[in-house]
Amino acid sequence: MLAYPATPPDREAALAGALAQDLDRAFEQLVIAYRGQILNFVARMLHDDARAEDVAQDVFVRAYRALQTYSHQRRCELRLRSWLYAIAHNLTRNAFRDAPPPSDTLDYDDAAPRAALIDPAPGPEHAALRAEAWAAVAQAVARLSPALRPAFVMRYVDDLGYDEIALALDQPVGTVKASAHRGLVAVRAELEKNDD
Amino acid sequence: MTESKLRAFGLATRRVAPDEFTASVFARLDLDRYILAPSALGDVYVAWTASGISAVRRAGDDAGFEDWYRERTRRRVVPAIEEDSIAAAARAKLAGQDVPVRIDLRACSPFEQRVLNKAAEIRPGSARPYGWIAREVGAPDATRAVGNALARNPVPLLIPCHRVIRTNNSVGGYAFGSELKRALLEGEGLDLDAVARVTRRGFRYVARGGWFCLPTCGDVATHIDEPGYTGLHSLEEVHRHGLVPCKACRPIAA
Repeated sequence: MLAYPATPPDREAALAGALAQDLDRAFEQLVIAYRGQILNFVARMLHDDARAEDVAQDVFVRAYRALQTYSHQRRCELRLRSWLYAIAHNLTRNAFRDAPPPSDTLDYDDAAPRAALIDPAPGPEHAALRAEAWAAVAQAVARLSPALRPAFVMRYVDDLGYDEIALALDQPVGTVKASAHRGLVAVRAELEKNDD
Repeated sequence: MTESKLRAFGLATRRVAPDEFTASVFARLDLDRYILAPSALGDVYVAWTASGISAVRRAGDDAGFEDWYRERTRRRVVPAIEEDSIAAAARAKLAGQDVPVRIDLRACSPFEQRVLNKAAEIRPGSARPYGWIAREVGAPDATRAVGNALARNPVPLLIPCHRVIRTNNSVGGYAFGSELKRALLEGEGLDLDAVARVTRRGFRYVARGGWFCLPTCGDVATHIDEPGYTGLHSLEEVHRHGLVPCKACRPIAA
């Protein structure tokens, strides 16, 4: 099962068209289609569920206000998911600035053991063990530096394409590829360290 | 930690947007939503805000309803895709279930709100005169204003303005017509013919077991000729018998 029924490009375009046609009537479709992804992205960025809900709602409020000012053509041409992630990224970055995460954030370390990149043979894991493992991953993701976390979460947790991430972060594809990869290495190193 | 495992992590730890997420977004945009729901009046539009149901209106012309809503509430309304708990409760109540529904009367004046909240207390199967509402809200001389407030009820059926009738116990006016008002009251179990017979005999109250009621308090009118029930013409007669006013219909205010 996919995390989300990944909005196929034609559906995304149809929704953009509907928003161009009648913003008020189509807006709820936009919220329904993306609220889960945006809420999760924001929550992973802030690592604070209560605050995440408020910020995620704000993403849609700002999206609506922005759409009000856009021309018909600009609405039609929007890559909606990337665009919403871009708004979410900006809002979480502001939230970061207001309340910074712990200072010992993870960053890419070239000396990180490469062995960590290799996954141990998957086997039937006990649910409790798995929950513990997920908590460890969540911790590692939460400690990723703000420079790496957005690209890492969009790529490896939310399964966005590099082109979408590049749009959302307004960076070249090469840059976001590198950030996502560095994030991956840092998370693996952190998890490996915990295993020791 | 493989990439597929990270995606599994994403799946296993994802949060689901809570029920009120969309409602909160719309509330922050001052944008209300509406659904279509079946009711005793046929299909009706039901509009709501984050505070409660703000309008019930007979279905027909979407654009006409949206214009009416904007004029009445100074707010915008759009058709909803999803229902939240507020809309679902209204749908259940309109389908005949006895469930509490949150109502948003902010578009009404304070006096209208007092009148409508009082009308909301009248239980199915009963009715009260306009003058009763006027006294209960502390404005005994404002019977006409009560009538106007009820006529402007933005949420008919959910606030049962049809259960407020004339002092002579005839059904009186209704936004959807007197015939429909009569049908609604009878559908809820009030025997209007029995009430009319009691009224024609000059009885203003019905006594039973030391208490006295309005003839429109539940089914008392249907029992008027049974042992233990007595028709009364005036308050003087009530006092002579030493009767206590019914706690439900509080007839002294009538």
